[in-house]
Order: sequence, then structure tokens, then C-alpha cells
Amino acid sequence: MADADTDRLAARRPLSPHLTIFKPILTMMMSIAHRITGAGLYVGMALLTLFLLGAAIGGGAFSAVSWIASGFIGNLIVLMIVWAIFHHLLGGVRHAFWDRGLYMDPQGRELLAQGTLVGGILLTLLFYICKTLAS
Amino acid sequence: MTVATRFKSGRTGTGDAYVSDHSGSPHARFMRLTSYALAPLGALSAWWILGLAGKSFDGVRAEIGRPIPALVLLAFGVVGMIHARKGMDDIIEDYVQDQTLKAWAFLANLWASRAIAALWTFAILLIAAPK
Ligand code: HEM
Ligand code: HEM
Repeated sequence: MADADTDRLAARRPLSPHLTIFKPILTMMMSIAHRITGAGLYVGMALLTLFLLGAAIGGGAFSAVSWIASGFIGNLIVLMIVWAIFHHLLGGVRHAFWDRGLYMDPQGRELLAQGTLVGGILLTLLFYICKTLAS
Repeated sequence: MTVATRFKSGRTGTGDAYVSDHSGSPHARFMRLTSYALAPLGALSAWWILGLAGKSFDGVRAEIGRPIPALVLLAFGVVGMIHARKGMDDIIEDYVQDQTLKAWAFLANLWASRAIAALWTFAILLIAAPK
């Protein structure tokens, strides 16, 4: 077959994964969430770097970046970063189990996926409550 | 990462087939090894990052100006961005199809991650280093 035909046929062939076809299941969602929180943390670290630079320089520089950690938006950003750290961290723990061949059966992997989701939220809440009480 | 060869693939046509350069396992192992350091550093850092919320200028500097938070955050930022650079390379590899754009994306990622790690370190040192 001519190259042009090969290319044309190849372009028409569907790519996996088919977002609209597969039923969303928890382990799959947590795999995707691991990637989203990883990329999110990249952005979060960039924002925090700006904030810390402002706090290091002071004066106008601090006022210019203080929105990153104060006010409604800032509190939301900080909370999202903390949640992303915990969610992504537990995702890493889940990988560590699977790397050792543990919890790979249907119940086990479902449990780890649920643990990642619930654990990430619980740890964020726990830290938030302790921090509020401590200050 | 994969490398292009002249191998002809039925799937993508001439010259677009890929063979492994065997960097996959070292990459995965690197992510795992860095994550062992990042897990404790991340949990501790989360505590002090949370402490930045709603603080005044002096409050922020008091929160992270002490040696332990400063050192932990510093290590988290540096190890985290080395890990994040490799992780973002995965994401670029998966989603950026155009080869030229892909090469630029890798380069942008390399320098963005280095800039973040360097400025993060610089800022914390300015805040916490003994005068
Ligand atoms: C809504 C559809 C889907 C999306 C958006 C999606 C997204 C992703 C993402 C972001 C990753 C990388 C994260 C990681 O390695 O932990 C990944 C990995 C993977 N996914 Fe999916 N996924 C989807 C559906 C599926 C389905 C239905 C299957 C199998 C039937 C599948 C099989 C895999 C495999 C085997 C990997 C590991 C690939 C590797 O290690 O290079 N995915 N997916
Ligand atoms: C808090 C402790 C952390 C742990 C335990 C951890 C663990 C991991 C592990 C095990 C992987 C590999 C996943 C795989 O093979 O599919 C990974 C991927 C990744 N991590 Fe982390 N990480 C942490 C912190 C961070 C931070 C702070 C960032 C960003 C600044 C980050 C960004 C990424 C990115 C971008 C990926 C690639 C995601 C993907 O390919 O789907 N991680 N992490």
C-alpha cells in the first residue's frame, strides 16, 4: 500500500483510551487524579515560589503576591495545594504497594483507590483543624 | 523516552515507529526513589504551607523563618522539582504529538523546573538564613 493510504487509514483509526466509551471506575479515576495532582503541584510550587520571593523581598513585592495565600482565593489555593500533596502522596503509597505485588486483587485495589481518595481529603481536613486550633 | 527509527509501521507510517531506548525502568525507579524522600518531606511541608494562609508579612516570615521548617521546605522544593521535571516529561511524552513542539516542551520543562527550584531555595534562604 502507498504511504499516503497507510497514513490516511492510520489517522482514522481510533486512539485508546476512548474517553467517551469506557465506564469510569475508581482505580482509573485515581490514576488520572495522580497525574492531575502532579501537574497541579507543579503550578502550585511555581505560585508558592512567587509568594516566598515576595516574603523574602518585602514591601511592595509582598503586597503584589500576598493574594496567593490570603483572602478567599489565597486560602483556596493553599488548601488545594495541601490536598494535592496528600492525594498525590497517597497515590505514591498506593504505587509502592502495587510495586510489591500487594493489594492487586479486585477488593485490594478498590480499597487502595478508596483509601487514596478518602485519605487525601481526611488528612487535609485534619491538618486544617489542627492548624486552626494551634494558632 | 522513545526514539524514532526508519522502521515502517502499519500504525503510523514510515519513519514514525518507535523503539525503546530502555530509559523506562530507570525513570520509574527514579520516581519511586524520590517519592520515598518526598513522602515525609511532603507531609511536613504541607503543615507549614498551610501555615502561610492568611498570614501577614511578619507572620509568614515567623512561620518559615525557623531552621527546621526552612530546611524541610528547602529539601521538599528541590527534590520535588527534580521529581516533577521527570514526571512532567512523562506527561509531555504522552500528550504532545508534534515532534518540534515536544522538543521545545521538554526544554521549557527543564528550565522551568530549575528556575522554580532555584528561586524557591533563594527565597527561603533570604527569609531564614542567620543574619
Ligand atoms: C477516560 C479514559 C482514560 C484516561 C483519561 C486515562 C488517563 C491515564 C493517565 C493520565 C495515565 C498515566 C497515569 C499513571 O501512569 O498513573 C494512564 C495510564 C494508563 N492507563 Fe489510562 N486512562 C483512561 C482509560 C484507560 C483504560 C480504559 C485503560 C485500559 C483498558 C487504561 C490503561 C492504562 C494503562 C495500562 C496505563 C499505564 C501506562 C503506562 O504505565 O505507561 N486507561 N491513563
Ligand atoms: C508528596 C510526596 C510525593 C510522592 C510520594 C510522589 C510520588 C510519585 C510517584 C510514585 C510518581 C510516579 C507515578 C507513576 O509511575 O505513574 C509520581 C509522579 C509524578 N509526580 Fe509525584 N510525588 C510527590 C510529590 C510531588 C510534587 C511535590 C510534585 C510537583 C511539584 C510532583 C509531581 C509529579 C508529576 C508531574 C508526576 C508525573 C505524573 C504522571 O506521569 O502521571 N510530585 N509521584
